[in-house]
Amino acid sequence: MNKKIKFRVNGKRHEVEVPTNRMLIDCLRYDLGLTGTKEGCSVGVCGACTVLMDGDMISSCLTLAVMADGHELTTVEGLAKDGELNPVQKSFIQYGGFQCGICTPGQVVAATALLKENPKPNEDEIKDWMMGNLCRCTGYYKIIESIQKAHQFAK
Amino acid sequence: MDVPKVAKSLPGVDSVSKIDDTTYEGALTVRVGPIKLNLQGKIILEEQNKSDWRAALRAEAKDRMAAGAVNGKTIMNLKEISANMTELVVETDVNILGKIGEFGQPIIRKKADSMLKEFVENIKKQLSGK
Amino acid sequence: MIPFEYRTPKSLKEVHATLKEFGGDAKLLAGGTALVIMMKQRLVRPTCLVSLSAVRGLNGIEIKDGGLSIGGLATHRAVESSALVRRRLPMLAETYHHVATLRIRNMATVGGGLAHADPNQDPPPSLIALGATVKATSATGSRTLALDEFFKDYYETLLNPDEIITEVIVPKQAPNTGAAYIKFLPRTADDYATVSAAAVLTLDKTMKTIADVRIALGSVGVTPVRATAAEAVLRGQPLKAEAFAEAGEQAKQAVDPVSDFRGSAAYKTDMAAVFVRRALEKALADIRQQAKAKAAPKPKPAVKKAVKKGKRR
Repeated sequence: MNKKIKFRVNGKRHEVEVPTNRMLIDCLRYDLGLTGTKEGCSVGVCGACTVLMDGDMISSCLTLAVMADGHELTTVEGLAKDGELNPVQKSFIQYGGFQCGICTPGQVVAATALLKENPKPNEDEIKDWMMGNLCRCTGYYKIIESIQKAHQFAK
Repeated sequence: MDVPKVAKSLPGVDSVSKIDDTTYEGALTVRVGPIKLNLQGKIILEEQNKSDWRAALRAEAKDRMAAGAVNGKTIMNLKEISANMTELVVETDVNILGKIGEFGQPIIRKKADSMLKEFVENIKKQLSGK
Repeated sequence: MIPFEYRTPKSLKEVHATLKEFGGDAKLLAGGTALVIMMKQRLVRPTCLVSLSAVRGLNGIEIKDGGLSIGGLATHRAVESSALVRRRLPMLAETYHHVATLRIRNMATVGGGLAHADPNQDPPPSLIALGATVKATSATGSRTLALDEFFKDYYETLLNPDEIITEVIVPKQAPNTGAAYIKFLPRTADDYATVSAAAVLTLDKTMKTIADVRIALGSVGVTPVRATAAEAVLRGQPLKAEAFAEAGEQAKQAVDPVSDFRGSAAYKTDMAAVFVRRALEKALADIRQQAKAKAAPKPKPAVKKAVKKGKRR
């Protein structure tokens, strides 16, 4: 059966009618055309599908779209403001925090949430927070460095 | 051997009906917490040896909602130990396929063990006439 | 996933009415992290999901009778980051921190996790060792269940289908009590344990005799297990170097692990002994550390980072 849901994504109001069994990631990608968020494992382990709901990281592959009704979502498309990349994104580019890029949307969203709570995390704090965002290419070194140095780009 | 009676000794068996002399159709419900499997399939009597007191059954069942399938073989042997003691030896080989097999290996194994224990208890009761 | 109805009742009364309407085919939804995976794999096929997200007042964390009262809908994240829990029962905050990843902890609830009853989970052994109880609420009223009797089988608890865990109560711990939870991680940090052990140790006034002890293990069977034989060799005994190792060996009696990719049954059994001993040692260290801190002149409290209050979903 279908349900009408109202929520904000990256600051913009949306009203969508979705079947109850639609996952949030599919709603974001197909109903709203926000294909930045990627589906890696479908079981909440890899972190590629990371989005923020009311500022907190969640797995959009394990969340039903109807569960987002009334909430505020941030996807990777919402990190840049007025065309300017956010500090995490700038740092990832500067310090090479990505290779193939498939895990990167999840990484930068997760890192953005981290920096909001802890603007200058040390390596252990970064590893603890980012532990659920897997990467097959980089070996994580550059991801950690990018996050550690992101404060350089903060205003 | 009364196949339906033996089959119904397995906990969760809902129905057993005869197709021909060696083939039966059955339905089995297995519950593990919130997970409920409705298995439907065939039971084939492969061997029935009255002089040896040995029987072999093969079963193939599929879950209606395609969460998986189960196939197994059971060999039952009655051995006389003394004038009033008979030993029942049950050998079972079960394969669990598909999602339930992949997801629930440890759970299913524990469940299968407890089901078989109950099966053997029920057979014992029937054979000892209690 | 098969189609289903989705309801968001605004009160417990409405929740119970909705459950009654759909009977056994409805399932309660809290954080959804366990349920949705099973639904995606078509292992569970409810005709209606009754979301608890709109029911207010069930996610608080507060002091109750000197102990803690945690609302059934409090998220794992809320418990791990609660200043109250970190101060009064740091072992519990650490335990909740061990669960999966932050994304899961932001959604998964305390009550939902217990109702899911996977024997590999982290919170149950710790809560059992702390002597916790749960309040289960149905349309006809509430009852209190001791957690060490709550788990019946893999994914099965004492809960009736229409019961909701509305509260988890951790009693006030006796003076000179230390607590520890140790998780033996097989491979990755976000995995379930190969074996885990929680120990809550209480010494008497002399600090030389074990007044009380509670030991619980996870990933060692179809439910979390309380190691009563291990407790028995310690309770009332003088504190001895070998005592903890002996208790570890006794703990092996309580376990019946399953062989899986996290370890063979034999290995898990051996490790149960090792980790019980380590948990007891850590609990003892906790008692000594607390005693030292009490005796020391009061320093200025460390400025803790402002922590976000747990969000309701």
